[in-house]
Amino acid sequence: MTRYKIITYFFLSFFIMIAGCTKLDENLESTLTSSQASSSLGASGTALLLKAAYVDLANPLSAQDKLFCLQENTSDEALTVTRGGDWDDNGVWRVLHNHTWDANHQYVLDVFNSLNKLNFDATNVLAFNPTKPQAAEAKFLRALSLYYLLDLYGQYPFRNPGDNLLNAPQVKSGADAINFIISELTAALTDISATNNNTVANADAIRTLLMKCYIQKGAFINRLTPTFDPADMQQVVTIGTAIINSAKYSYTPNYFDNFSVDNGTKSKEGIFVYPNQSGVSINHAGIEARWNMTLHYNSYTLYNPNAGWNGFATVSDFYNSFSSTGVTTFSPADTLLDQRIGGRPFAGVTNLSGIKPGLLVGQQFNENGVAEKDRKGAALSFTPQIAADMKETGSNLEVTGIRIVKYPPDLTDNGKNYQSNSGNWLMIFRYPDVVLMVAEAKMRTGDAAGALTLVNGLRIARGAAPMPSMTLVNTSNVSDPNTLLAERGRELYWENVRRTDLIRFGVFTKPWSLKPTDDVKNLVFPIPNQALAANPNLKQNKGF
Amino acid sequence: MYVKLLMRFISISLLFVLFTLPVLAQTKIITGTITDSTGTGIAGVSVQPKGSKTGTQSQADGSYKITVSPNTSTLSFSYVGFNDKDVSISGKTVVNVSLTINNTSTIGEVVVIGYGTVRRKDLTGAVSSVKAKDFNQGVIAAPDQLLQNKVAGLEVTSNSGQPGAATTIKIRGNSSIRASNNPLYVVDGVPLDGRSARPSISLGNNGLGFGTTPESNPLLYINPNDIAQIDVLKDASSAAIYGSRGANGVIVITTKKGLSGPPKLEFGTSFGVAGYMKKYKVLTGDEYRTAQKKYGIDTFKFDQGGNVDALKEIAQHKLSENYSLALSGGNENGRFRASFLGSSTAGLIKKSSLDKYIGSFTGQYKFLDQRLSIDFGLIAAHYTENLSNVSNTAGSQGNLVSAALIWNPTAPFYKNGKYLLNSNGVANPLAISDAFNDVSNVNTFLANISAGYKLLKNLEYKFLYAINHGTGDRKINIEGFLEGFPNLSGQGYGIIGNAALTSQTFTHTLNYRTNISKSLTMEALGGYEYWKTNYANASIAASGFNINLDQSNRINIPYTSILQNAKTQYPYLPFVDPTVELQSYFARINFNLLDKFLLTGTVRADGSSKFGKNNKYGYFPSVGAKWVISNENFMKNSAVFSNLGLRGSWGLTGNQEYPAGASQEQFGLSSYNTAGQTIVANPNLKWETTSAFNIGADFAFAKGRLYGSLDYYNKNTKNILFQTNSIQPAPNSIYFINIPANLINSGFEFALGANVINKTNLTWDVNFNISYNKNLLKNFYDINTGLPLTIQTGTIDGQGVSGTLSQVITNNQPVNEFNLKTFNGFDASGNQKINDAPTYAGDPNPHVIGGFSTTLRFKKFTFGLNTGGAFGYMIYNNTATSVTNINGITSGRNIDAEAFKSTEGKSSGASASTRFLEKGDYVKLRNATLRYEIGNVGKYVKTLTCFVSGTNLFVITKFHGFDPEVNVDKTSNSYPSRSIEYIPYPTPRTVSFGLNFAL
Repeated sequence: MTRYKIITYFFLSFFIMIAGCTKLDENLESTLTSSQASSSLGASGTALLLKAAYVDLANPLSAQDKLFCLQENTSDEALTVTRGGDWDDNGVWRVLHNHTWDANHQYVLDVFNSLNKLNFDATNVLAFNPTKPQAAEAKFLRALSLYYLLDLYGQYPFRNPGDNLLNAPQVKSGADAINFIISELTAALTDISATNNNTVANADAIRTLLMKCYIQKGAFINRLTPTFDPADMQQVVTIGTAIINSAKYSYTPNYFDNFSVDNGTKSKEGIFVYPNQSGVSINHAGIEARWNMTLHYNSYTLYNPNAGWNGFATVSDFYNSFSSTGVTTFSPADTLLDQRIGGRPFAGVTNLSGIKPGLLVGQQFNENGVAEKDRKGAALSFTPQIAADMKETGSNLEVTGIRIVKYPPDLTDNGKNYQSNSGNWLMIFRYPDVVLMVAEAKMRTGDAAGALTLVNGLRIARGAAPMPSMTLVNTSNVSDPNTLLAERGRELYWENVRRTDLIRFGVFTKPWSLKPTDDVKNLVFPIPNQALAANPNLKQNKGF
Repeated sequence: MYVKLLMRFISISLLFVLFTLPVLAQTKIITGTITDSTGTGIAGVSVQPKGSKTGTQSQADGSYKITVSPNTSTLSFSYVGFNDKDVSISGKTVVNVSLTINNTSTIGEVVVIGYGTVRRKDLTGAVSSVKAKDFNQGVIAAPDQLLQNKVAGLEVTSNSGQPGAATTIKIRGNSSIRASNNPLYVVDGVPLDGRSARPSISLGNNGLGFGTTPESNPLLYINPNDIAQIDVLKDASSAAIYGSRGANGVIVITTKKGLSGPPKLEFGTSFGVAGYMKKYKVLTGDEYRTAQKKYGIDTFKFDQGGNVDALKEIAQHKLSENYSLALSGGNENGRFRASFLGSSTAGLIKKSSLDKYIGSFTGQYKFLDQRLSIDFGLIAAHYTENLSNVSNTAGSQGNLVSAALIWNPTAPFYKNGKYLLNSNGVANPLAISDAFNDVSNVNTFLANISAGYKLLKNLEYKFLYAINHGTGDRKINIEGFLEGFPNLSGQGYGIIGNAALTSQTFTHTLNYRTNISKSLTMEALGGYEYWKTNYANASIAASGFNINLDQSNRINIPYTSILQNAKTQYPYLPFVDPTVELQSYFARINFNLLDKFLLTGTVRADGSSKFGKNNKYGYFPSVGAKWVISNENFMKNSAVFSNLGLRGSWGLTGNQEYPAGASQEQFGLSSYNTAGQTIVANPNLKWETTSAFNIGADFAFAKGRLYGSLDYYNKNTKNILFQTNSIQPAPNSIYFINIPANLINSGFEFALGANVINKTNLTWDVNFNISYNKNLLKNFYDINTGLPLTIQTGTIDGQGVSGTLSQVITNNQPVNEFNLKTFNGFDASGNQKINDAPTYAGDPNPHVIGGFSTTLRFKKFTFGLNTGGAFGYMIYNNTATSVTNINGITSGRNIDAEAFKSTEGKSSGASASTRFLEKGDYVKLRNATLRYEIGNVGKYVKTLTCFVSGTNLFVITKFHGFDPEVNVDKTSNSYPSRSIEYIPYPTPRTVSFGLNFAL
């Protein structure tokens, strides 16, 4: 029995011993906890976090279904047409143009989340002992996200660095919200590195955003009837004039060189840009969506058959606003020599694909000058008329709507970068916006002559005839060409500013092409229901 | 801490009991022979003192020898397929026994439960067992298919017709809204990880639009011929011994073991050919010409004069082959079994196949006068999957199946010896097939060794160590000559993926049994288990190659062999999952009073590294009781009932199938020198808890010729694992929490078996099962605001329907309820009239599932068939919505035959609505097999049998897609979808022929 006893004791003690051998601490293997991150990455870790915040700009600012569709599709400049079996997408596009969205709209949610990702990542930099210049960059990026959130939703959630993420953050709105952004930008301007170029936060980018805040402040506080404090307008003039006088920027001789694949070197107008590199997939904004979303399936077939998505278009009223009379025959010649309407050959693009940048109307041709056809074999000729309900069902459904190619497609390397990893830099802030804001502030403070000088300076640079006179806005005709609002449209179309402008000029709820009626509640987007459910401090906007 | 103390207490108590027991010194030897009704000796019969779990087995000639204690009065003899027999040995030293064949009831069966076995009649929980002889026949890629429609309450849905594709398995409904609903698999005592080592690669990145391929079945490395029995632990009292992994039920697989006797060699082979079970109906060439006229578009000149069937062209009728060999033998102290499988299953679609090579070796050896037993098992498998271009989430450009469906049926596939590219944007399906190569290789082994030591006659210690390791590589080449695909045409695309999965198990158990009094016996089990799993994968892709960019100059070099040559190099993307560790303590106690009253209690304490630091351990108790009425005196002589038992059980089980690392704050290091927080920490994160009760009855009438069981259950899942919306600003749009909602599944299960005819030359057995389940989500509110929650999922893909979601997970509805806009017919111009607001439109979860199988044997012929069906659910036909919609005809595509028959106009748009919601009800003939037993041939060949077998012979349904048994993965934001068809790999109908014999 002794032998068995020994064996028995052995097994039982082994059994008891083995129990409780692990503490069940989870090793993450390929990611770090925050304490590991701050200790193992050291000072350079902050730079990595800052880089992540920059990358957060890419998708929300360039994809067609993010900021672009909330700012442009809701305006008189853009819409997405349902074409038979294409682009119905559960009506998500049509409600944007006819202002019937609700708090469950997918893109209203996506934009809220992606801008708040930038908000979070920029705030997070501040929790990791940044240098003063790093903190200034982070504050600028956060301010940019808060500015867009405030503009779109009328309020923004805000966390301090290191806050417990399981707690609901505070929410700022109205004057409090805009004043906070201004104070952050002012602080950032003191600390920002003077050597920063336009691909990162820089002093002029901060100044431009400050101008945007001051000029929009009245609208942020009262969207229905914005008032413009002369002191704010003076800030816009002072800051903007300083930028103009610095002579760091000038009008690029060929307008579309500001958006072409080599705009990184050719454009003299970029104040804040997102750099892309042809054929490189990392840190890439997906800029190719800007032409694919509008071009026809057969627009460029040599290497990229079916590349176009054939969705986005503009309305003829916008096209007409390029003409001094507001009436055109849909030919670029008719609109004097304004480069910005496009439709003219562009070297490196038209000779390789037939595509001409700008507003496309009428018969399209390929690189050899042969007329293109649609998928039925009919002429690929874009027509201005769009069905009243934005649902095309006729045999011309593939060709309705004037198209806009703002960014000339990247055709480098035999067109291999046309569909992905295109190299055009995304223009976030551009010099003419600064000039036009100064002109607007001058007009709002009584200096119409000074404003006209600035605007005509720009028009001459674009090859357009000077305007003899100009008003701010024609509230009974949004598309009136002899207005500053129209000039902003002609210069900055499809650059994510149109909705903001229309609200500031007090005409966002006026009827326009394919939007017969509206409601003042639409001056601000609803807080997405998902966000509302998560944070009790958010209050749903009136009317939703 | 509490648990550790408890375990020590139990151990010490056991120790105490152990050494105070009287020592039994004297023994008695019994010998004899066991024969069947013809007098032939039966080998491998288990001989045990009654009530004991230890004993011996009979030799090849049926003889046995057993040493028993002097107070043993009765010996029990049992063998699979024969009725158990108890024989008194008082005053005897030689006991000869004749066993009778049991064709009928399952009462004498042994049921494998967690960490042990019980006799079916002693079972207090709801466990269904299927033995090898009752498995599904025909084409079987993985063990789960053996069970299809065999077990009440077990739903096995084939997601894809691709050989080796994963199935969706649900036991008693959806018990989770977010986490996986797959059961835990346990193979010979080893709990598996449940994932496959095949690298999962999305072809929806880098500008491609093909999406992700259906998952691979994680059990492909188990040879179906090696399985002796599968037990499905359905209720909480059975599954609670597996604690935090038991909530979805447990499937316990027991492999075949060698038997005592002379070496035995079994050989089997089969050959088969596949075709379509059911085709999706699009227009023929002639109908297409008629349609051109009907819609007034003959001016577009789409008619190219031909008559082709693209679905037929993409299919192949290649021969599948299957060879298996098993070798076994042994004696009283050692037995072994070795088996080999080589099989090549050709898929229905060209260039798809599954080739498997599996070897397995098991042994059971006894030492130290049978006190020490060493059992081991080793499975080594290599399998190769050739996958076709059929994915779950193809975007508007579609996949191979959509290209075939919408190919102009009048157009030739070739022109001047090259693939014809139509100008309408439809890729040539044959060119896709030719240009696309996706091959994965997986090597897996599962090794386990266990040592059992009998400390005393009634106390046994057992240790088990097991390792399951799989590595996979996958290479995808899509040649750039394929025209019409953005980012691919003229460029080519190559991607290489690797994955490795390793899990290890250490288990210690102590098992003690005793007779507390003459009428009361007790069996107790205590154990400790440590389980660990690691998973890592990586992939690297490139595009922009310099070869195979035009059809005329193709060479046989895959891009994945020259990846460095490509212009665009995508970065290497490794991903390493956090290690998951589980540490568990468990105990079970069984009481048996007079074989009339049975009581089982279990408890498991599970600690998991996945749980948040405030909730490291979960406790999962259960209790089950049974009253065997037929053993009561008043029933003993009943002419009606031969068995009648009532069962009741209650238990708690858990589910921890959520991403590892979800409880911790995480900072990711990403490409382009960036770092950022990726996960919101939740230190309170824990398992999902399901509390369930079950009441059931087991019965047998007419001397066991009619038998069955009836169960009612109610499962309530609480602390639901939920990826809630992060409170913005946040690093991610979601994070994991437990919310106090209730997910309730309740239902009935009924199983009935009958031995209708039992004559020497004619037997006829019938088995039938049916189950009803109702699923409902309640109290589903946001924890911060108390507002009702609605989660949208069920992505609808294709051109014109981007961003459409068809299903919701919301309060007071079943999980995945369809939420669609109502279709109100067509207007005067043939456009669809669709209401703007979506409404709840139907339940995608089958309410009733059932199976019917029968075996008819006449002399040497045996005919068996197995049918199954599901009823009371809806399927969304995403193929009809966006692939074969009528609008395609205006750009020269083929369209749905249904749309052509309707009054819909040619320019009607594509939009998701109730129009495409169809009743899923179906009955499918899964298999029919006819066998002829030639018998022994010559001196050596024994039991030569040949058979012809048909799998998926037909389906009866009103659903107009490929197969109503469908569940294409249309997950949105990691919320699962259910019952959506979208251009799937069609279900094959296979006819095979084979033979088996033994030496």
